[in-house]
Amino acid sequence: MAEIVMAYAAAHAPMMTADPGSAPRQQAENFFGALEKVRDTAKETGVQAIVMMTGEHFTNFFLDGLPQIAIGLDDEHLGPPEVWLQVPKKMVPSDAGLAAHITASLIEQGQQPALSYGMKIDHGFMTVYYWLDNSMELPMVPIVLNCTTPPLMTMQQFYDFGVTLGKAIRSYTGLERVGLVAGGGLSHFVGEPRVGDIDEEFDHWFLDRLATGDLSEILSMPNDELALAGNGTGELRAWVALAAAMGSAPGKVLSYEPVYEWINGMGVVLYDGDNVAATA
Amino acid sequence: MSLYMVQRCLFDHLRRLEAAGDGPKPAIVTDGYKLTPEEVRAVTEPDIGAIYRMGVHPVIINGFCRALGYKRADYRPLLADPDASTQVKVKARWQK
Repeated sequence: MAEIVMAYAAAHAPMMTADPGSAPRQQAENFFGALEKVRDTAKETGVQAIVMMTGEHFTNFFLDGLPQIAIGLDDEHLGPPEVWLQVPKKMVPSDAGLAAHITASLIEQGQQPALSYGMKIDHGFMTVYYWLDNSMELPMVPIVLNCTTPPLMTMQQFYDFGVTLGKAIRSYTGLERVGLVAGGGLSHFVGEPRVGDIDEEFDHWFLDRLATGDLSEILSMPNDELALAGNGTGELRAWVALAAAMGSAPGKVLSYEPVYEWINGMGVVLYDGDNVAATA
Repeated sequence: MSLYMVQRCLFDHLRRLEAAGDGPKPAIVTDGYKLTPEEVRAVTEPDIGAIYRMGVHPVIINGFCRALGYKRADYRPLLADPDASTQVKVKARWQK
């Protein structure tokens, strides 16, 4: 059976690869330093493949057919479509066996993910993934989540999804060491009058709860209240699903920086892998 | 008015721009989308504020503004809400 040997959540502002030098130097060093620590952890744990969740940005789906959750089932996926992202375009390998197993297991557990072939992996994936493996050879199973188009699944529903996702990954027999990654958040506003704002108070509040592992206040939060922290902030649904998959264990907040030049609260939270958590 | 048609028009335009790559940028196409004259005006002029007030999805607005050359939050003044000062402020659980 597979173990989740590492899990982390990270913000995925496009500017982090498109124009990384535009951030204040200390902020950039802190954020990228956290991603380097994650990269070191991936090497130490010998991750064979990752499963990555992020928000849908109308890259794969539009309003004529928008699933709440969709899993990419190919053995490779093209990314990124954004030519300005400063990430080379490449067919990124996946693990089709793991993707198919996750899909089947989720459905057995009562979830209804959409199936997707030909999925493209946009900045939501590639900014974070490129920092994890800039050779882009590490297999990645992509999962996109509807985080911006109401009616939206609640935080509690994504928590429940995350629990089932964790079980799905751990019941796979084709690999031994899998990583789980969430991309998106923290607070940001796009395409609306508050574009450029960052809700630092929310970001600290949210990260504090991940650090303790007590998610109760997050899970009871209605979607309308979450939206007060930004219409892009709902991407934190991926972070909540990841925390759930890791049993609500306390996460290590490796960095938080409100980078106004990137119009995004930028943070990284790392979780112990199954083997470490079991011995703690 | 069909909000979906406005959004479909803008979305298809963004896809055409993406497909054009570094080549000449195609003009927005409004034929075939069942748009009102005001909607045609808003997307061709373009009038970002009007597009926002119609209720177009913010991800589409953001993409459209980026395609027009706006960086970061530079398009914020176009979306200024004249009623913002009179709106009821709701206190969220993380606010002290």
